[in-house]
Amino acid sequence: MPAAQARAVCAELVAHDADPEGDADALDRLALWALKLYAPIVAADPPAGLVIDASGAAHLFGGEDALLADMVARLATAGFTARAAMAGSWGAAHALARFIHAPTTIVPSDQSGRAIAHLPTWALRLPEGMADALGKMGIDTVGEIEATPRAPLALRFGPELTRRLDQAHGRASEPIEPVEAPELIQVRRMFAEPIGAPETLARYTLQLVKALCEALEAKGLGARTLDMRFHRVDDRIEVIRVGMAKPVRDITRLTRLLCDKLETVDPGFGVETMVLAAPMAEPLPWKQVSTDLAEAPTPDVADLVDTLANRLGAGRLYRAAPAQSDVPERSVRRIEPTAAPAGETWPARWPRPTRLLPRPERIETLALLPDQPPTAFTWRGVRRRVKRADGPERIFGEWWRRDGEVDAVRDYFQLEDEAGERFWVFRRGDGEQPATGDFTWFLHGLFG
Amino acid sequence: MTGSTEGPRYVELQATSHFSFLRGASSCEDLFDQAALSGIEALAIVDRNSVAGIVRAHEAAKVTGVRLIVGCRLDLMDGSGVLVYPTDRLAYARLCRLLSLGKRRAGKAKCNLDWEDLPDFAEGLIGVLVPDQADEVCAHRLRRLEATFTAGAYLALSLRRRPGDAMRLHNLANLAAHARVQPVVTNDVLFHHPERRQLQDVVTCVRHGCTIDELGFRRERHADRHLKKPEEMHRLFAKYPEALARTLQIADRCRFSLEELKYQYPDEVSTAGMTPQATLEGLTWEGADRRYPEGVPDKVQAILRHELGLIQTLEYAPYFLTVNSIVRFARSQDILCQGRGSAANSAVCYVLGITSIDPERNDLLFERFVSEERREPPDIDVDFEHERREIVMQWVYETYGRNHAALCSTVIRYRTRGAIRDVGKALGLPEDLTRMLSSQTWGWSEGVQPKHAEELNLNLGDRRLRLTLDLARQLMGAPRHLSQHPGGFVLTHDRLDELVPIEPAAMKDRQVIEWDKDDIDALKFMKVDCLALGMMSCMKRGLDLLRVHKAIDLDLATIPAEDPRTYAMIRKADTLGVFQIESRAQMAMLPRIKPRTFYDLVIEVAIVRPGPIQGDMVHPYLRRREGKEPVVFPKPELEKVLGKTLGVPLFQEQAMRVAIECAGFTAGEADQLRRAMATFKHTGGVSGFKDKLVGGMVERGYDLEFAEKTFSQLEGFGSYGFPESHAASFALIAYASSWLKCHHPDVFCAALLNAQPMGFYAPAQIVRDARDHGVEIRPVCVNASRWDCALEPTDHPDRFAMRLGLRQVRGLSNDDAAAIVLARGEQAFTSVDDVWRRASVPAASLVKIAEADGFRPSMVLARREALWAIKALRDEPLPLFAAASAREQAIVPEVDEPEVALKPMKAGREVVEDYGHTGLTLREHPVTFLRPDLARDRFMTCAAASAGKDFQNCRVAGLVLVRQRPGSAKNVTFITLEDETGVANLVVWEQVYEKHRRTVLTASMLGAVGRIQREGDVVHVVAYKLIDLSAELASLGQRDTPFPLPHGRGDEFHRSPSRPDPRTPTISLKTRNFH
Repeated sequence: MPAAQARAVCAELVAHDADPEGDADALDRLALWALKLYAPIVAADPPAGLVIDASGAAHLFGGEDALLADMVARLATAGFTARAAMAGSWGAAHALARFIHAPTTIVPSDQSGRAIAHLPTWALRLPEGMADALGKMGIDTVGEIEATPRAPLALRFGPELTRRLDQAHGRASEPIEPVEAPELIQVRRMFAEPIGAPETLARYTLQLVKALCEALEAKGLGARTLDMRFHRVDDRIEVIRVGMAKPVRDITRLTRLLCDKLETVDPGFGVETMVLAAPMAEPLPWKQVSTDLAEAPTPDVADLVDTLANRLGAGRLYRAAPAQSDVPERSVRRIEPTAAPAGETWPARWPRPTRLLPRPERIETLALLPDQPPTAFTWRGVRRRVKRADGPERIFGEWWRRDGEVDAVRDYFQLEDEAGERFWVFRRGDGEQPATGDFTWFLHGLFG
Repeated sequence: MTGSTEGPRYVELQATSHFSFLRGASSCEDLFDQAALSGIEALAIVDRNSVAGIVRAHEAAKVTGVRLIVGCRLDLMDGSGVLVYPTDRLAYARLCRLLSLGKRRAGKAKCNLDWEDLPDFAEGLIGVLVPDQADEVCAHRLRRLEATFTAGAYLALSLRRRPGDAMRLHNLANLAAHARVQPVVTNDVLFHHPERRQLQDVVTCVRHGCTIDELGFRRERHADRHLKKPEEMHRLFAKYPEALARTLQIADRCRFSLEELKYQYPDEVSTAGMTPQATLEGLTWEGADRRYPEGVPDKVQAILRHELGLIQTLEYAPYFLTVNSIVRFARSQDILCQGRGSAANSAVCYVLGITSIDPERNDLLFERFVSEERREPPDIDVDFEHERREIVMQWVYETYGRNHAALCSTVIRYRTRGAIRDVGKALGLPEDLTRMLSSQTWGWSEGVQPKHAEELNLNLGDRRLRLTLDLARQLMGAPRHLSQHPGGFVLTHDRLDELVPIEPAAMKDRQVIEWDKDDIDALKFMKVDCLALGMMSCMKRGLDLLRVHKAIDLDLATIPAEDPRTYAMIRKADTLGVFQIESRAQMAMLPRIKPRTFYDLVIEVAIVRPGPIQGDMVHPYLRRREGKEPVVFPKPELEKVLGKTLGVPLFQEQAMRVAIECAGFTAGEADQLRRAMATFKHTGGVSGFKDKLVGGMVERGYDLEFAEKTFSQLEGFGSYGFPESHAASFALIAYASSWLKCHHPDVFCAALLNAQPMGFYAPAQIVRDARDHGVEIRPVCVNASRWDCALEPTDHPDRFAMRLGLRQVRGLSNDDAAAIVLARGEQAFTSVDDVWRRASVPAASLVKIAEADGFRPSMVLARREALWAIKALRDEPLPLFAAASAREQAIVPEVDEPEVALKPMKAGREVVEDYGHTGLTLREHPVTFLRPDLARDRFMTCAAASAGKDFQNCRVAGLVLVRQRPGSAKNVTFITLEDETGVANLVVWEQVYEKHRRTVLTASMLGAVGRIQREGDVVHVVAYKLIDLSAELASLGQRDTPFPLPHGRGDEFHRSPSRPDPRTPTISLKTRNFH
């Protein structure tokens, strides 16, 4: 059902965009969670399931029922509605969890076949369209497939059907490829005597960074974020975090980034343990340094970007890029500091001032309506006579953005005063229709 | 307005209309109105590589008094733009040929011209270069321009409202002086009024296929593109007074007007040594002897002499000869055809065999067809079988030559749905939302209203949505592109491409001109309409079947006339499937008109039209007919005009005559009135005649009330009243198809199914109706069916059973079906394997036949069993087994398979599958399976409802067959429901409709609570409440899929009205136009 139709049926509908990648990530995280809690063999069963080999794990929770109940309850507290089924094979459990409307289902291994017999054919994880094709022949349930001679079935539907059928009945093996918890790269240092002096903290920071970089190098990784935790004697933990634009394992750079933030750490009565971890690490292979004399190495500003971003805050560092809009305020947009150039430019023939004022400033002018440039204007208390002028450049409001801009017009003029200074001024309105603006004048930019 | 000597003078030489598709945002009418208001004395329309808009502009110029300068903007391959204006007729001819050349090279809707092409055609043309910057490129182009146009070369100076404007103009003027080219001021107009800027941005988005947010610098970035007053232009270009004055000089040199285009009839090849008139007379008398073997009646002789005399005076003989040759060619190819429209008023047309209305038995009004006063070419429309019309069309091209024959174009304009879709897309609304929104609208006039959005729970506070609705309203009516007219040929003696540019059409071997039929009309060109009519194909097939199976040899003119049994059937409204009188509204009217003679049928066809209904002529006519109201004529002259129709005007020519006789209109004025009524866009135009008509009538002694009433009647007509002759032509086909249905229902059913898609009803209803008439219908069978539905003998020698053809199998290609039939020959297939090997068609095609249950009748294989067997087939037979089979002359099975017992399908499911794969079922009606549930909910059957008492409360339920909302009756929706016992006709009034709008629009099965209203034999159920039973219907198949209910073409909701279907000039089409 299209979203608009659904909304027509239910006015209160809240719609979210589908995010398959996000869902897959969340499922993977859920798999890791189950891995820690329940059993050593767990895998995500996309799009919306987990498969767990619970052999030998149930007794830890006091039986299979308790295991499943615990799982469903914990998931419920995390906001997931879950159904769990336990059976002799992955296929059977998969089918039961999805087609039996009970929070938990447990079927003894030897009864799996019977339990799934009445389920519809699409419970079998069949390829796209096969369940429909079976339906056309009047085969609607797993039991009916089982009851049909195998050779004609295989001839018509291929080996996949019988394979899935056998897997569900446990006649064919189906190994689970379990998820592995990624190892957190971290180093720690405990002190016999609590430390607190800034220079001491800095020294041990360097040592920890060295140790961490060794660990990173061993795995061919570079850090994107670093967390440093300071466990104080009074059981409080101070944390600093730095982020990098690209993966880094340069000892000096990382140390400097961390030391820049040390001043925010309050050691209190002393720090007994320092832990440095790289929660986000990405592959960073070694690269050969160019030995070509003629070829100048491209300057790497990532270091500078990191330093500035960590000092100022990540959101405050940006680059300006041209945007396709005639409205001067909108003709610039912010892009990531390290983003590739967008490839857009402004038309060269239509010069724009080198400096645009953050806000247009009111000026007093003398000008003839409707479209003559001012002969003189007063800006910040200084009166200037206009020697030369060009314009108007007529810029319309972007009517599709706001109601206020539907009729709005600005007439821009380039003015040159007697001293040769050049200004960019505009009048609100086209000089004829009051609806387009109130005919007041503003200075918006200065040419270099 | 013209030549005002007061104040500054200015001529706008560069105005782009919306015929520069998706560039200009204003119509020619808007531009000229605005020009008149602003005091611009002449306006040049320069569309991109096209003169498509100039006829409209010409008309607008006549109305406003602002002179039109014909022009065109050539976009050359190197990116330069040159405005060209022909100074005289010859130069215009060269321009047309130049454009034709470019279009021929580039293909449909494109044009490919370069500087090298210009010199050959430049004589007499004025060329104005549209420059960008004053740079080297511009200088180079100026030199080429100067070399091409010499004294006629100019450079356009336009303000852009961008930095450096003054400097740019200055440099351009210098550059021009240097190149000895004179600068001239233009304003590069894209829209008539500043308010259209938004719409202009939107059409730019549509052109680039992006949203307004993504459009960026692709917008038109030069500002102020509206028409400006001369004073304003003089102020802006105060430094260039000569360049301003030059606009007037150019306007003065460009004196070419479309009035100069003289139309020449093509020569008939066959008239060696004789004048066309003599040839025509010879053919006429020859034809008359053929038509009346017992001697030509005196009355007819007199009519023929009168007509021939008039034809001679007006020199129309060549035209008649042309149409005659086309018709004669069609006959020689055994293609069924019949003239329609006003031509049926002509006895000459009848004896030539073009039309079939016998002048002896009918009163013809030749003056409606050709009149001395109107002096405009007659209009003969000929309907051909829709499947074989292409043969006729290619013959026309070949016979008259491709430089002398082309189709008219049709301007495809934005209607509500298209406008919403495109504007919504441009403003970034999600597609599903615009689709929903447009699904709520219906046809032209309903427009998009806020209530539709509310209905969908859409937030009208959303700015983009409001903008979309608003801009879509502005966009409605704007042309989107040119398409080809269904069959309107323009034939000329002189080169056609000197009259108008010709471009290749999307369809192979066809070419179209840039003007549509209204333009052709306005210029008084001759046009022959070769239309395709589905019913002609149906009749042809029917007559062929009659000849082959029943040895009855008839054609349209020899079908027994005035057959009482046929009229009895028509009176019972038992007319499902017959031409014209099969729609709900027609069926409801039949028992009241009670046709007994052919003329009654003519009235029947004409009366159920939006025109007469809108004009409130139906009820007075019926009352008078039933003798409930006296037939009075306030004046004797009215009796003369309206006597035949009991004092109520029903036909177009009567409306004209009333204006002439009672209000003192001249024939010319009356015709103008008709035209004003016909062009829906100029609704204001009709009212202009009101004062004249009412005033004229009062002057002549009619009371004011009567005059007002008469005018409102005429106003209702529009183009939606039929001319009498047209109604007569249609009535003839309606009668012929009724006769076939009445006497040979088996033949009729087969012919109708084979001519699908056409008409109002889906095959399911046609088949059901045939069964109700005692025709045995046999199912699709792989061993018996051919591609077409065919007749098979039964025990009874006169009765035939109809075998459904393989064409009913959804998705089966004609080629595969033919291969199967061919391979079958005399030896029936014995198994699925056998079919597959012998016919060697892909297994997918066999699957389609199996799904349509085509293996059951002869092989006793149910759907599932057949599918099971087909599923086992591979791409190729194994070679060893194939060899063995060949040797054994029998199928050697590759595998010995164990028997597999498949679950038989439930009966309900079988029906669902029948509908899904053949569009009809020969089993039980789907509603049968729901009957117990319906009975529990106290729903009665449709048959019971139809037998119910007046005013009785009732509940009925059934499949939704047809939903109709005639434009004539805005506030009524007709819904036809069907169950296993018959049909019930629902009437849904506006209030109920609004409350249940979604149900009406979407439900495939409906329950209705209402009251029975009985008018004689006609029973309607007036619904109070509608219940959506689609879910119950879907449950039949025990699947979560909707019931595959096929809809006939009469169901207006189901069809996308964006494209009128050219093959059915039936009520449905015209009705939709009327919105």
